Amino acid sequence: MSKIKAENVNVYYGSKQALFDVSIDIAEKEVTALIGPSGCGKSTFLRCLNRMNDVIDICRVEGSIKMDNLELNSRKLDVVRLRENVGMVFQKPNPFPKTIYENVAYGPTIHGIAQSKEEMDQIVETSLKKAALWNEVKDRLDEIGTGLSGGQQQRLCIARAISVSPEVILMDEPCSALDPIATAQIEELIDDLKKEVTIVIVTHSMSQAARVSQKTGFFHLGKLIEFGSTDKIFKNPDKQQTQDYITGRFG
Amino acid sequence: MNLILVTFIILLAFTSYYFGRKKALVIQSSQRLTALPKFYGYYLAAWCAVPALIIFVLWSVFEPSIVKTFILQDYTDQNLTKNELQLIYTKVKALAAGTYTGNITNFLDESANKYIQLKGIANSAKVAIILAILIFSLSFAYRSVQKNDRMREPVEIFLKWVLFVASLGAVLVTIGIIFSLLFEAIRFFQAVKIFDFIFGTHWYPAKTFVRDGQPDPELMKDAFGAVPLFAGTFFIAFIAMCVAIPIGLLSGIYLSEYAGRGVRKYAKPIIEILAGIPTVVYGFFAALTVGPFVKEIGNAMGLEVSSESALAAGAVMGVMIIPFISSLSDDVITAVPQNLRDGSYAMGATKSETVKKVIFPAALPGIVGSILLAVSRAVGETMIVVMASGLAANLTMNPLESTSTITAQIVVILIGDQQFGDPKTQSAFALGISLFIVTLFLNVIALSVVKKYREKYE
Repeated sequence: MSKIKAENVNVYYGSKQALFDVSIDIAEKEVTALIGPSGCGKSTFLRCLNRMNDVIDICRVEGSIKMDNLELNSRKLDVVRLRENVGMVFQKPNPFPKTIYENVAYGPTIHGIAQSKEEMDQIVETSLKKAALWNEVKDRLDEIGTGLSGGQQQRLCIARAISVSPEVILMDEPCSALDPIATAQIEELIDDLKKEVTIVIVTHSMSQAARVSQKTGFFHLGKLIEFGSTDKIFKNPDKQQTQDYITGRFG
Repeated sequence: MNLILVTFIILLAFTSYYFGRKKALVIQSSQRLTALPKFYGYYLAAWCAVPALIIFVLWSVFEPSIVKTFILQDYTDQNLTKNELQLIYTKVKALAAGTYTGNITNFLDESANKYIQLKGIANSAKVAIILAILIFSLSFAYRSVQKNDRMREPVEIFLKWVLFVASLGAVLVTIGIIFSLLFEAIRFFQAVKIFDFIFGTHWYPAKTFVRDGQPDPELMKDAFGAVPLFAGTFFIAFIAMCVAIPIGLLSGIYLSEYAGRGVRKYAKPIIEILAGIPTVVYGFFAALTVGPFVKEIGNAMGLEVSSESALAAGAVMGVMIIPFISSLSDDVITAVPQNLRDGSYAMGATKSETVKKVIFPAALPGIVGSILLAVSRAVGETMIVVMASGLAANLTMNPLESTSTITAQIVVILIGDQQFGDPKTQSAFALGISLFIVTLFLNVIALSVVKKYREKYE
């Protein structure tokens, strides 16, 4: 079942076009990986899905992106509500310089989700458990989040993202700043999370895409070259360009 | 004469730079150089200029006192005091320069001739010695260039020493200022008890003035109480901060987070122009525009307002400080990493929520640092207070009355006639050193807070 349906998305940074007619169907409760060489527009596309491109003054998005029949690329859209439903995890772990508890409670607080202290405690605990971090931090929730290790910080960011129970989580190269062990933990986590949420992950690592995703899209120079099931993309792609990239002949 | 000599040394140094480099190029044809050719030039130039200039400076420092000793030798048998000898020496010098207008005695005339003679000898000796040193050091340096000695190390060591001497100079001057403040302050505290100074509530140094003779110690006790000045200083600084902190901080937040590129491009320099206005301009703005305005408003409301009020001075001082706070807080807010903003926006936070909950707390230590720097600036500000807040040291917490500050009182004490060694004059040093301690304290706190903030993100 389709969760997000993008049609003919064009993105411009000033006069420079970054995405060309991208159309893609993202299925619900699956992991969709976007791969491609640097500067190919995969992160730009990801940021269209929660309107993070709004932050960049010169960025202009054209085309239609529908999530459950709600047009995302519309002036009338309530961006705050959208971002409550579409969480995001960034390339570099970016916990706030606040306590671990406050980091996770940030979203529920600004969206007024928890009615009481007990409820908030419950949300924080569940989110940290889902992010596989609870056991490591349950005794030091009042320590500063930036004091954790890189992998822990990234899982804290994931806990922060899932604290508001989003339907979609966008991940922008979530493991590129982490060591292999922390990466394995995050990948395991992604596998667990997909039971409840739709995940779109941008990654540089093709093996990671192959491991975690069900669908893969290959971007090159702002165009979506090929999109299909991960199995097919990696074993038997239709396009020569995809084949070349997967086998490491360029990129 | 001196000017010609120095110019000559410097020109010679430049010439030897080119000469050394040229020589290096010649050496290059037969053997491998130990450094780039310009190092040979630097080496020769440094050896040319430095010894000669050092001797020149030392000579210029010691020559007058040596000449003086020679001249005054003739007067040792007359049992004169130090001051009288000094007077005679001044007369001799004036006579020699042809600007003396008093009675010319034979004795004086003789001394003046001797002075001219000595000066002449000293000058020729100076030129001779410096020329000798130039020849000696240049030939020494030239020989090592010829031998193609290692050139890079001596030049680097020389540069290190140049930098060291420069920083030593800066440190020594600072220490010198502190000690001169300290010694005069100690002499003041010999006349006035330190307890009376720190805890006394009356500041009225003028009443200790007594023609010929020592002032009454009872009067002294009550004249140098610094409490009204400290109170006035902090009171006016407080009023200034009440104006500057909200406006500065909010405009800093606006500039860094909300303003578009166009607005920021013009607004920031305009705000910073405020910092470039001379304080004396702020001073008469406060005294002639704001002061009467405050008085009029107050009178209209039925309040008694003096035309020189703490409120006027403090408010104008606050305006002066706005750019400090807005510019510094703009900088620290901009320095908050973008990925924290992204993280907050991605959670669905609005701009004001992001500013309030993420950016402001993250930038807070830097903001506190900028505020403390602004406070120390306010405490040290003089001109506005002198012009707009009056000179009478009232101990008051009423912003509509006139009050005075430490800096303003130092001005009052040191303008016009004063006697050195008078407690009134020395009290300026005591005030100066207390002010220095206060601002030093504030700066140390500010710097350590800012440092702590940096550590958090690195």
